[in-house]
Amino acid sequence: MTTFQIALLTLAALGAVTSVALLSRQLVGRITGAAVLVLSVVGAIFTVFPNSTTAIAHALGIGRGADLLLYLLVIGTSSGFLVMYVKLRAVRRELTLLVREIAVAKATGTDPDDGARKSQ
Amino acid sequence: MDRTVASVDEDGNFGHAVTAGARHDPEIDQPTAEGTWVVVAVYNEAPVVADVLRELLQAFPNVVAVDDGSVDDSWNRLREVAPHAIRHLVNRGQGAALQTGTEFALKKGADRIAHFDADGQHRVADLVHMASAVARGECDVALGDRFLGGSPIPPHRAALIRAAALMHRFSSGIALSDVHNGLRVLSRAAAGRCEITADRMAHASQIIDLVARSGLRVRQYPTSIRYTEYSMRKGQHASASARILFHYAISRIFG
Repeated sequence: MTTFQIALLTLAALGAVTSVALLSRQLVGRITGAAVLVLSVVGAIFTVFPNSTTAIAHALGIGRGADLLLYLLVIGTSSGFLVMYVKLRAVRRELTLLVREIAVAKATGTDPDDGARKSQ
Repeated sequence: MDRTVASVDEDGNFGHAVTAGARHDPEIDQPTAEGTWVVVAVYNEAPVVADVLRELLQAFPNVVAVDDGSVDDSWNRLREVAPHAIRHLVNRGQGAALQTGTEFALKKGADRIAHFDADGQHRVADLVHMASAVARGECDVALGDRFLGGSPIPPHRAALIRAAALMHRFSSGIALSDVHNGLRVLSRAAAGRCEITADRMAHASQIIDLVARSGLRVRQYPTSIRYTEYSMRKGQHASASARILFHYAISRIFG
C-alpha cells in the first residue's frame, strides 16, 4: 500500500468516525450525515481496490475509472453548491426579517409617535 | 369637502431639472395627501436626501425614510427631516428597504403606499398625479412611465428598459412600457398583497410579477425623470442589468 493510499484511508476513516459521532449526537441532519458516511466508505473501497472504479465505469459504458470519478465529482460539487446557495438564500431572508424587525422597533424621526424626538 | 393643502411647482425645486411636458400644476387634497405614505429607500444619499425629503413634505405629510445601512451621513441627514426615520443596521438592498417602509406605513394605517427614489430623479408633481388617481379608484397600482412623460432618456438606458419590458411581456404576460421605474403608488390592499422578498434591485420585476398574478388593476402614468449628473452616477448601469436579471431568474426559480 502506498503512502498516498494510507493518507486517503486515514481521511476516509476520519470522515466516517466524524459522521457517526455527529449523527449519534444529532448535530447533523440524517441525510447529510449518511451521505458523508457513505462517501467515506465508498472512498475507502476505491482507495484499497483502485481497479474497482474501472470495472464500474466499464459496466456503465464509461471508458476509464478516472472519468467516472470526475463525473461523480462534478455532479457532487454542483449539487453541493446548489444546496449551499439555497440555504444561503434562506439565511439572507431570515437576516432581512430580523433587520426589519429591529428597524421598525427603533423607528424615530420628527414624529413624536415614533419614539424619542431627537434634538435639533 | 376636500381642501387643498399643497401645490407643487411643475419644475420641481431640486437639482438640475431636465423636465418636459407642460402639465398643469397638480393640487392634492388633504385626505389624499395624509392617506398616502411615501416610502423612500436611502442608501448613501447624504448629499441630496434632505432636500428630496423636504420637497416631498411640501405635499405629503407622511414620509417614511428607510436608511438601508448607509456608510455615509445619510442617516443623520434624513432623521432631521423625515417624520418617520427607520434604519437597517446592515445593508439589505432597496427591495428590502421598501418592504420595511411599506410594512411600517401599513401598521400606521396608510391608505396608500408610494415608493419614491432618494436620489432626486423623481418629481413630486408626478407622485401627486398618481396618488390622486389611486385615491379616486382609477387603479390599484399606479406605475410611473418615463416614456409617456416625454423627458429625454439616454439611449442606452431606454434600450435596457425596453428589453426588460419585453422580458416581462413573455414571462408575466403583462404589457408595460417602463418596468423599472421606481415611482409607484399602491392601494392599501395592493400593498398588502405584493410582499417584496427580492431584497435587491430585482424587486421592481418582482412587483410587476405580483401585480400580474394577483389580478390587480394597474395603470401607467407619465413621469419625468430628472437625469442629473448625480442621479446618472448613482443609477443602474448596463453592467448591473445582468446581475438584476440573474437575481430575478433565481427568485423565479426559488421563490
